[in-house]
Amino acid sequence: MELIQAIFALYRERGGWFLGLLWDHFLLSGQAILLSGSIGLLLGIFIAQRPRLAPAVMGVCNVLYTIPAISLLGILIPFTGIGNKTAVIALTIYGVMPMVRNTYVGLTTLDPDILEAAAGMGSTAMQTLLRVKLPMAAGVILAGVRNMVVMTVSVAGIASFVGAGGLGVSIYRGITIYDPAMTAAGSILIASLAVLLDFILGRVEKHFKKYGS
Amino acid sequence: MAEPVIQFDRVCKSFDGHPVLRDFSLDLERGEFLTVIGRSGCGKTTALRLVNGLIAADSGRVLVKGRDVAQTDPVALRRGIGYTIQNVGLFPHMTVEKNIAYVPSLSKSPLWKGEERSRRAAELLQTVGLEPGLAGRYPRELSGGQRQRVGIARALAAQPDVLLMDEPFGAVDEITRRQLQDELLRLHQERGITILFVTHDIEEALKLGTRVLVMEEGRPTQFGPPSALLSNPATPFVAQLVRRSRDFAPRQ
Ligand SMILES: Nc1ncnc2c1ncn2[C@@H]1O[C@H](COP(=O)(O)OP(=O)(O)O)[C@@H](O)[C@H]1O
Ligand SMILES: [Mg+2]
Repeated sequence: MELIQAIFALYRERGGWFLGLLWDHFLLSGQAILLSGSIGLLLGIFIAQRPRLAPAVMGVCNVLYTIPAISLLGILIPFTGIGNKTAVIALTIYGVMPMVRNTYVGLTTLDPDILEAAAGMGSTAMQTLLRVKLPMAAGVILAGVRNMVVMTVSVAGIASFVGAGGLGVSIYRGITIYDPAMTAAGSILIASLAVLLDFILGRVEKHFKKYGS
Repeated sequence: MAEPVIQFDRVCKSFDGHPVLRDFSLDLERGEFLTVIGRSGCGKTTALRLVNGLIAADSGRVLVKGRDVAQTDPVALRRGIGYTIQNVGLFPHMTVEKNIAYVPSLSKSPLWKGEERSRRAAELLQTVGLEPGLAGRYPRELSGGQRQRVGIARALAAQPDVLLMDEPFGAVDEITRRQLQDELLRLHQERGITILFVTHDIEEALKLGTRVLVMEEGRPTQFGPPSALLSNPATPFVAQLVRRSRDFAPRQ
């Protein structure tokens, strides 16, 4: 009870500061989301067109995905220094895996009859991809986006360990000055942001599942 | 004599070492309605897919309007050939209208721009015996028979003069099937298109074909007008096929 009161007191007294952190957090994860979204999508499309490369690419993505986030950040410091850049790179590497996996699965499990029809009617490979394959795989791909977005927003919470901004700053400060309420206040905002984005993307995904396949 | 529209010239095709078509030759004249019948797995679909270049012959040649398919740009070739696959294969994310307009949209046909698209799609829906009001529906909102009709409308949209149809009436009830057969006969007579039609139903093959091709294990064993199959079955298999169909009226 005391903790909850303390959290609300913090929001009241330092609302502006938290809003600033929330905005930074949104920008930080937003950059990583855009990057891993586009890299993962392109890579997924690429290996779906060249199935021989798929096991190798997926293997590498899986390995990168299993590295604990905190050590990935640590490994990157000698190369990219401390700050937002390192955090964005780490988050991007992390987010690529669910994107590649879902794009690849979505594109390679389509009804072969429909692909036969598309090819038989004289679609070029690009037309088949853009007009048939991607729209039909959109539901599965969006599930990957959703997964990646939620993960990125929450993992971005530890980005302050390498000097990046965002709500991780309040978490980290709460830990160092032994103020659990400050840590909790930051975490709650991260969770709320993740839930909100998840909800919005869930609606979009539902739309595509309905009209997609 | 006019050049055949479709020509198989000693075509062989194997899958994983199993011969599917062996020394397969066939000439199809303009305006013919050829029905191909044979047991499941005898190579009917394979023969169709050789015509639009979805697969390539191991040896021998397939010619469409005198041009070797192996040497033709497959995209251009296929846009000029209507194709309905065995399981219809409508695009689930497109409305009926967009499905029908698919081939013209691939080639960015100016005839199918804006309101013209709706008008032409509605016209084609009527051609295949459907309400133009269905244009805005999605495939999953249609019955099996309606889907098959949309599949035919889609194949007709670019006004091809050759139509490849792979068991197009497989998944519909008897009454709908009869209606669809009658409509197809009418289309064939009106438009003078050349049709290559695969079926496993002898009654359908005899009713629709100006000529019927019987296939057994990848080889043509009889090729002639429906009446010849009835009067002169060339093999025991053909005899057995038509025995049950004596009562049916073949196309004259
Ligand atoms: N793409 C393919 N790969 C391997 N085998 C195939 C392929 N297509 C067809 N076959 C085989 O070739 C044979 C003939 O198939 P198909 O032409 O589809 O027969 P039908 O249409 O007469 O039922 C079958 O035994 C089938 O398993
Ligand atoms: Mg078949």
